Amino acid sequence: MDKHNTYESTVIINASLDDAQVESVVTRISETITKNGGSITALNKWGRKRLAYSINKKTNGFYVNFEFTAPSSSIALLERSYQLDEMILRYLTIALDAKALAAKKATAAPPPAVETAAPVQPREPLFTESAEKK
Amino acid sequence: MFNAPRKPRRDKEGQMPRKKRTCRFCDAKENYIDYKDEKRLQRFTTEQGKIIPKRITGTCAKHQRQLVSAIKRARHLALLPFVSDAVR
Repeated sequence: MDKHNTYESTVIINASLDDAQVESVVTRISETITKNGGSITALNKWGRKRLAYSINKKTNGFYVNFEFTAPSSSIALLERSYQLDEMILRYLTIALDAKALAAKKATAAPPPAVETAAPVQPREPLFTESAEKK
Repeated sequence: MFNAPRKPRRDKEGQMPRKKRTCRFCDAKENYIDYKDEKRLQRFTTEQGKIIPKRITGTCAKHQRQLVSAIKRARHLALLPFVSDAVR
């Protein structure tokens, strides 16, 4: 079995598409992630933003940020699919190391300090999923 | 009348006393610099978009390395400019 790492992928989608088309691109990306054995932990749509410089003569882009765990071999496939997609202007995929995860946890943690039992629960579905595959 | 602040004295070697600068990331005890925080990264670049050297900002070597990679990632995603519009 491949080692599962946590990754973060930010994609700039052509902003001249309408919302439904952007949505379809987002679902297509999330499907390729899950199809290759990954699971998405967070999906943030930053929305339309002005680019700091023009890419392919476009000055605006729709930013989407994925956070997911996936086997390392699936990243090459994912980036290949980004390249083939003409609606994607730019992408960046990085592996999140222990430091980054700790920092992320620290920024996210402060509000749910009261809950103690909750963080245990999300783990269980992961186990049943892997059992099904076997 | 407003008095100009007195000029600091030179020491024996003729060096001006240096103001002590500390690393902002060490002060805040941060171990990870995020490329998505473009407003913050912008403060470590010049108006032209160049990265400011650590000898000016006082950032320590460890954090400067992280900062540089964060700025470069932000540039790739067009969050920060490679060269600002005013220069082009």
